[in-house]
Amino acid sequence: MKRLLQILFTVGSLFIAGIFTVAQAAELIVWHAYRGAEKTAIEKLAKLYETKKGVTVTTLAIPYDAYADKISASVPRGKGPDVFIYAQDRLGGWIESGKTVEPIDFFMDDATRAQFLPGMLDAMTYKGTVYGLPLNYKSITLIYNKALVKTPPKTSAELVKLARSLTNADSGRYGLAYWYTNFYFHAALMNAFGGKVFDKDGKLVLNSKETVASIKQMMKWYKQDGIMPTEPSETLVSSMFNEGKVAMVFNGPWFIGEISPSIDFGLAVLPVIDEAGKKPMRPWLTIEGAYVSASSKQKDMAYDFAKFLASEEAGLVLALEGRQLHTNAAIYKDKRVSDDVVLKAFHDQLSSAEPMPNRAEMTMMWSPATTAMNKVVKGNATPEAALKEAAGAIQDGINALHKGR
Amino acid sequence: MADIKTKNHLLLHVVLISFTVLATYPVLWVLALAFSGQQSVGLIDLPKDPGFIERFRSILPMPAHLSVSNFTEVWTDQDFGRWMWNSAVVSLMTTMLGVFLACTAAYAFSRFRFPGRNTGMLMFLVSQMFPGTLMLIPLFIIIVKWLELGNTYVGLVIVYATTAIPFCVWMLKGYFDTIPYDIEESALIDGASRLTIFWRIILPLAKPAIAITALFSFMTAWNEFILASIFMESELNYTAPVGLRFFVGGFSSQWGYFAAGSVIVSLPVVGLFLHLQKYLISGLTAGSVK
Amino acid sequence: MNVAEHLKRSAVLGLGVSILLTLVLSTWMFRAEEGELRLQQRQRLAVMHANALALSVADTDVGETGRRVSDIQKLNPQIESVIIVGGMQLVASTRAEDAAPRRLEREEKALFDLSNQIRSARETNQGEEVVRKKIIQVDEKVAGHVVVTVPYIAHGEFAGILQMKFNTTGEDVFGLTPDSYTLPLLLLVAALIAGTLLRMSADKRIDLVKLFVIGIFLAIAMLYQNQRMERYEQMVVQANQAVAEKYLATAEQYDRLGYLALAIDNSSANLWDTDHYQRPLGLIAADGSIPAETQAAHFEKRTRFFNRILWAINLLGVAVLLMFIYGFAARTYAALKEHAYAYAYVTPAMIGMLVLVFFPFIYGITLAFTDTTLFNEFLPFQDRWIGWDNFKAILGDFNLYQNTPDGIIWNYQNFYWTLLVTVVWTITNVTIGVTVGFLLAMALNTEGLRGKAIYRVILILPWAIPNYITALVWRGMFHPQFGVINQMLQMFGMEPVAWFDGVASSFLTGLATNGWLSFPFMMVVILGALQSIPRDMYEAAEVEGANPWQRLRYITLPLLKPTLIPAIVLSVVWTFNMFNIIFLVSGGQPAGANEILITKAYKIAFENYQYAYAAAYSTVIFIILLVYGFFQTRITKATESY
Repeated sequence: MKRLLQILFTVGSLFIAGIFTVAQAAELIVWHAYRGAEKTAIEKLAKLYETKKGVTVTTLAIPYDAYADKISASVPRGKGPDVFIYAQDRLGGWIESGKTVEPIDFFMDDATRAQFLPGMLDAMTYKGTVYGLPLNYKSITLIYNKALVKTPPKTSAELVKLARSLTNADSGRYGLAYWYTNFYFHAALMNAFGGKVFDKDGKLVLNSKETVASIKQMMKWYKQDGIMPTEPSETLVSSMFNEGKVAMVFNGPWFIGEISPSIDFGLAVLPVIDEAGKKPMRPWLTIEGAYVSASSKQKDMAYDFAKFLASEEAGLVLALEGRQLHTNAAIYKDKRVSDDVVLKAFHDQLSSAEPMPNRAEMTMMWSPATTAMNKVVKGNATPEAALKEAAGAIQDGINALHKGR
Repeated sequence: MADIKTKNHLLLHVVLISFTVLATYPVLWVLALAFSGQQSVGLIDLPKDPGFIERFRSILPMPAHLSVSNFTEVWTDQDFGRWMWNSAVVSLMTTMLGVFLACTAAYAFSRFRFPGRNTGMLMFLVSQMFPGTLMLIPLFIIIVKWLELGNTYVGLVIVYATTAIPFCVWMLKGYFDTIPYDIEESALIDGASRLTIFWRIILPLAKPAIAITALFSFMTAWNEFILASIFMESELNYTAPVGLRFFVGGFSSQWGYFAAGSVIVSLPVVGLFLHLQKYLISGLTAGSVK
Repeated sequence: MNVAEHLKRSAVLGLGVSILLTLVLSTWMFRAEEGELRLQQRQRLAVMHANALALSVADTDVGETGRRVSDIQKLNPQIESVIIVGGMQLVASTRAEDAAPRRLEREEKALFDLSNQIRSARETNQGEEVVRKKIIQVDEKVAGHVVVTVPYIAHGEFAGILQMKFNTTGEDVFGLTPDSYTLPLLLLVAALIAGTLLRMSADKRIDLVKLFVIGIFLAIAMLYQNQRMERYEQMVVQANQAVAEKYLATAEQYDRLGYLALAIDNSSANLWDTDHYQRPLGLIAADGSIPAETQAAHFEKRTRFFNRILWAINLLGVAVLLMFIYGFAARTYAALKEHAYAYAYVTPAMIGMLVLVFFPFIYGITLAFTDTTLFNEFLPFQDRWIGWDNFKAILGDFNLYQNTPDGIIWNYQNFYWTLLVTVVWTITNVTIGVTVGFLLAMALNTEGLRGKAIYRVILILPWAIPNYITALVWRGMFHPQFGVINQMLQMFGMEPVAWFDGVASSFLTGLATNGWLSFPFMMVVILGALQSIPRDMYEAAEVEGANPWQRLRYITLPLLKPTLIPAIVLSVVWTFNMFNIIFLVSGGQPAGANEILITKAYKIAFENYQYAYAAAYSTVIFIILLVYGFFQTRITKATESY
């Protein structure tokens, strides 16, 4: 028995030594789509991790437009990174197709699970299994020009009143602008009315009276109140805001960097919608996570790095230097973060926001939903008819995917 | 007689200038954005009841204030110089490989009658017909998985050259067809070999067409973005279009940087065209053909 | 040598080659198919044992579960080991060193993940009410040692997985496949002798000889294939019998131990013998009997795809044979020899094409015959094969418009609408590009014109600047309120236009942008082509009193043709597939009315994840262009100079 133990011990220590030598020679490859401050922050963290753990971390920035294709092409074929960072919108698709994202439930301890802001881990969970560690979130909020708006509106009635006083369509000035034909932006209104795209069992419920009501609300702002410009787009909204032609916009943290230095802006929580029974607008949260690649040869180490990125220490760097809204709850107690107007404002909005669904079927929703919104806005269809048609098209797509074997 | 000529040219100038204005107007907006020092497109600022003059002023592509900050930012924020270099290497290699392969093939198609000639020509055409959207995965499999040419210039060059070859072959074949066969015949009688004729007679005569195909091959490689970003695995190896795309896409877009970058990226193309122009000057080659 | 003589010689040679080819290919296919059957047989047995064990421990407590598992394992030497995993726990294991129950260790992460995967697969199948996710995982890393994982259900709830290592080495129910070459080879020899004898009688009609040769070929090929098919059918039957025997023996073991009271009656489905979705295969009833009708149906289904392959092989053989009979092979060889230099010039470019264009191309076309989506892209190929269904769905959808009281409503999602838009888009764009390019090239080719160099450089700017940004600028120019185009209209007192709201106006936005982008290319091409026209031809024409129009009509245009036609053909092809401009400028607005085929294919692939359907779309696009290219080159062939 003693002998056996001895042998076991020797084998065990050899094994550990083996892991250790591998670890020393190892290099972790991390993919992301950042540039500017975010990129600098993550590269700094990679260096920090290297000095701490002795593992070389090589980061690779990839243009967003090619990023998803690059992952889908390389990871299932045994190539690609050890860790990659991406928002939850593609997660479901990658899990359904397989060979792309490694489940990490097994690695996770309770402390790690508990460290996140509410809702964050849900975005990384697909059919009961956790696939990534959430790193940061984005949502839209109310951003206003302080020169035009003294106190931001708290309710939809106040919003309309204020916006009407600031609108002069003839000279191209409006009280409110947001990309209202884009369903991502519209979702804040839809959620206020209690509308949903999928129910909790994954059934498509887009065509509901709640969603219809939310579209009618948007149309009221656009047509009846006339407080929003026609044919909105991201570029139009930012150009208008920068030239002082619009007083208030609904936009996200990415917009902050686009605001020209000459504009003094403030942030506030999105208003409560009186027509929806005084429910607040609830924007969708886009949550970026760090995923362990299924093709990685060193998954423990990869997970450890992901865990480091999600930690309080890294969170402070990502938040303060990378200007990200990190998911680690602890950093919001730090004075530097809570004194930061922008970070605090988006953190406040978090109390009424919900993660965007991470189902693969979501991708099919955008195009028909946008078409429906455009039809309604241009007066070519009623909200009911447009939504019914969109839901039909989406359901056809879903049925084609869910075909039995 | 001299009078008529000048008059004709006046009309020509009017036509050409109007087309030049049309061609440059959107480009001027790009320039305006690039030199504005801002990230968003400038909007039209109109008073309540705008008159003709106010409207006219509003459509002139002029930034509110001039600044080169977008350019300096693009150049310093990322390793843009290195990426321009990579692009130049890849594009020039593509041009050389593409034009060389196309010249030989086009010469054969033009001068020889051999079985499979028409099929071969059609095959080059056919290769352009299959939509590229679904080519991504198979190309990845060939270049990165099988040939292990991921993250190399060569991998990109091979793909770009094959993309450009069909056009080059067809173009050159058409041009070779117009070169009279008598020249070669007399050279053959003089005892010159096929290869000599090809190098010494045909290629020099085909300079205008070669210039065009070279420009085309160069452009094919120069502006390609998606394959370059998928094949390359280190930031040092990216090409300029890849670097450019960092400024747009996803949630936020820095159109000012993108515009400035686009201007930088198009300068070498303009330079190349300036250089190749001399082959397009009328009357040089054709007149000497006897 | 007269024609008949030559024909017979090549027929005999062709017969030999094609029969050899067919036999080798058929044998290869049968080998593969039989290998597949062996593999399935091994897996089927393993799945049966795993199912049986999982069912027998479904309602027991943990201690009893461990005991039953080890009892069964001891009784059955083929079961190498069994483990049961529930969450983070190793619930039971037959390996002493595992010391179950205990917590899973780091190296066992795969088991934990597998358990989660199977749980979510079951839930998905139940939630979506379709069976699309496999809930039994089978793995055979070492040949003969099958590892099978089935759900472990305790008291009606999913509780984890049961994984069994099952040894199938040293067991072969089929015996060796007998050598079956002898018969066809004998026939081949006979055929060759017959062919040689035929040579003697030179007065036979040629057509008859051809038919006879093809007949001989088919007879031999099919005789051989039938023989192999019979053997294969026998193997399938043997396989089924073997499973039934095993089933009865195992059931008897379970019965004896009292672990499972099996309902032995032939009406109920056999729950042990299932597919990977845990659905009873229905080949063996619960009492171990083999229903004959399901067996026949099963065999028919099994060989449907395979029979098609055999037919394809035979067709290939006939094609090869015909090539020989008509002397293609000989001619190809002769041509290769005679025109070696020509082929040497073409080959380098051709190789690049073959590798990088035609492989992806075949990949795409093959994909079009499957039902591949994001959700099943890594399933085996046969499981995804659906034949022509995608094409039927695309081309057979004639729901082009609806008659309503308010007039006709077009269905913009329909293929034929999109095709119409694409064709109009292509024709208008190429016309604009060529016309403007030609006019400018002619202008710039005028002798003695000042500032030519400057004009030329400025006019290529639209081509030089990345179109991603210029397309965006154009899109901005068409904005109804802030765009400069509407400002210009208003400058001259006209009403602003909501460009992206109407089908025609939205089409115009794309047309303007693409026309602007594409004329420089055409201009440069024509400019180059104009250089090849000898100046003295014009001089001669001028001397003979031809006016400028006549010079254009009779000198310039004919001499431009050889370079202009390829440029037009290629630009038609490119414009047909011009993805960027539509995508960036109008985005297909309004309501997808201005999508072209390629943007539609893109949406199907990357928004709806229906890869195969998109591939079929792309194939249709390809065929349309192919037909166009074929006719275009046919028409212009007559005009080719030299």
